[in-house]
Amino acid sequence: MKNIQKAFSILAITILFAACSTDNSENISGIGNLEIEFDNAYASNDLILGIQENATSNGEILKINSAKYIISNIVLTNQNGAVFTYPKSDSYFIVDESGQAILELENVPAGNYTKVKFGIGIDNDQYALGAENQGDFFVIAQSAGMISGFTDGYTNLSLTGTFTSPTVASETPFMVKTTKTATDSNYREVTLDLPTKALVRTDITPEIHIIADVSKILDGSHKTRLSEHISGSEATINSGEILDLITANLTEMFIVAHVHND
Amino acid sequence: MKKLILIFFFACQFVHAADKDSTYLYHFRHMEFPEGLGKCDACGCSATGGSMGFSSMFNNNFVGLRYFYQSYTSKDGIFDNSPKVDENFNTIQVWARVPVSKKIQVSALLPYHFHTRERSTGDENISGIGDMTVIAMYSLYQTKKDSTVFTHKIQAGGGVKFPTGKYEEANNLGSVNPGFQVGTGSFDYLFLAEYMIKRKNLGLNAMANYTIKTENEKEYQFGNQFNYGTTLFYLFDLKHIKLVPQAGLAGEVYEENTQRHQAVSDTAGDILFSRFGIEAGRKNFSIGLNAMLPISQNLSGGNVEANYRWSVNLNYSL
Repeated sequence: MKNIQKAFSILAITILFAACSTDNSENISGIGNLEIEFDNAYASNDLILGIQENATSNGEILKINSAKYIISNIVLTNQNGAVFTYPKSDSYFIVDESGQAILELENVPAGNYTKVKFGIGIDNDQYALGAENQGDFFVIAQSAGMISGFTDGYTNLSLTGTFTSPTVASETPFMVKTTKTATDSNYREVTLDLPTKALVRTDITPEIHIIADVSKILDGSHKTRLSEHISGSEATINSGEILDLITANLTEMFIVAHVHND
Repeated sequence: MKKLILIFFFACQFVHAADKDSTYLYHFRHMEFPEGLGKCDACGCSATGGSMGFSSMFNNNFVGLRYFYQSYTSKDGIFDNSPKVDENFNTIQVWARVPVSKKIQVSALLPYHFHTRERSTGDENISGIGDMTVIAMYSLYQTKKDSTVFTHKIQAGGGVKFPTGKYEEANNLGSVNPGFQVGTGSFDYLFLAEYMIKRKNLGLNAMANYTIKTENEKEYQFGNQFNYGTTLFYLFDLKHIKLVPQAGLAGEVYEENTQRHQAVSDTAGDILFSRFGIEAGRKNFSIGLNAMLPISQNLSGGNVEANYRWSVNLNYSL
């Protein structure tokens, strides 16, 4: 009998401790930070610069040496439909496979966000501000090689490397640079749904992990054969109608892998 | 009296819950950003070793030490070509199963973990006291001794796992395997049942348990877990030694984890092991050796692969 009493008192103590739980009252106010990671991939593989051989559906094998693109005009939508537009002057970023991959957004209003929208490249409104109002981003873009002179326009996306194909046996350098044309800024916007909500709080900084599948650039809905663009000893794609066709592919590149709320 | 002392000993082992606000958060910020391939808590911070169970086929009441090792290979990233990481989980448990009354047995386990994993960036280690578990089992039915050919024993019970081990939120920040922990940081509640049937020296033990896991202070909640197993054993009652070779199956099923009440993808899973081993006893001491090999598994959406487990224990019969 005594033993049972002892057993029950132990059980009672454990229940008492178990009943103590922290009070998690939801207090959505204030501002916080949000991170967006652009993780470059080639199809189902992580993009590895240099030696990785990446095949296209046309049988071309690409070795990519650099991949860079401009991400801009970030807009977040929360679960109530409210929209937060990141301050435009701060909303220009360069994603570079060999360097920065995580965009850090500050002073984001606390909330449960369900969508993220962003632009690829530079929009007409930004060009309309003129050369003198480009701010720090102009300098950043210059050192990244994404712009030389303002009138030439920014490079929205740059992909370089070497390739071979059934008709091109030896490693041939290639360069793809989408930029504005006379008729089109070639700026496109993408809206992605978040599979789990990004919970921005004063003490929670979510991270939206986006996969950018660079195979879509040349091998998306529109397929480009680098071998058809060889002039001299290189394949160069940086002007003409083809830029519009390639730009149309860019909206297919991005998906959200997941969201961490840490 | 000895039994009462033991119970108090285990009850007093209950320390205040693990340190909550870890200001020591180390981040892995490099190009191949490692990803949250969630798993279960049974891998690393398991207080119980999942389907390894709480019992010995050799003796019903004992106090002892058990060491077990688990080997996993996980994918360090979300891509097909993400690197593989070898994970080695080591646990030493003080464990005991003591009768409190004629029909009630209390089991307790207190683990100490020391785990390592080899990532492309270097080796990582984690070690510390783990989560303590206390279980009470009630004997629902037991065949009277002078009965027929078969004897049966059915037990059911419940228990609590206490967050005595430290939960490192940093290990769940996009890490390969959030099971790389020494504790879950949560109180968990266990429900167990065990059945034993014996005929002379041959016996069959079947067990099942279900753990309801709660949210820890970092608002991370591991998924509920169902463990089950069956072991066939035979007692060789020799002159100087008793031997109990045993073989069976053990399985684990994990529901998905949640973070701040949202499901974490790729954290549910299941696995079925074959297990085999032997226990040997002489006078009051016994030693056991056990191995588990996976038969089928699908852990964390295929991102975590269990290689094998093995354990050795030294018990003192009460």
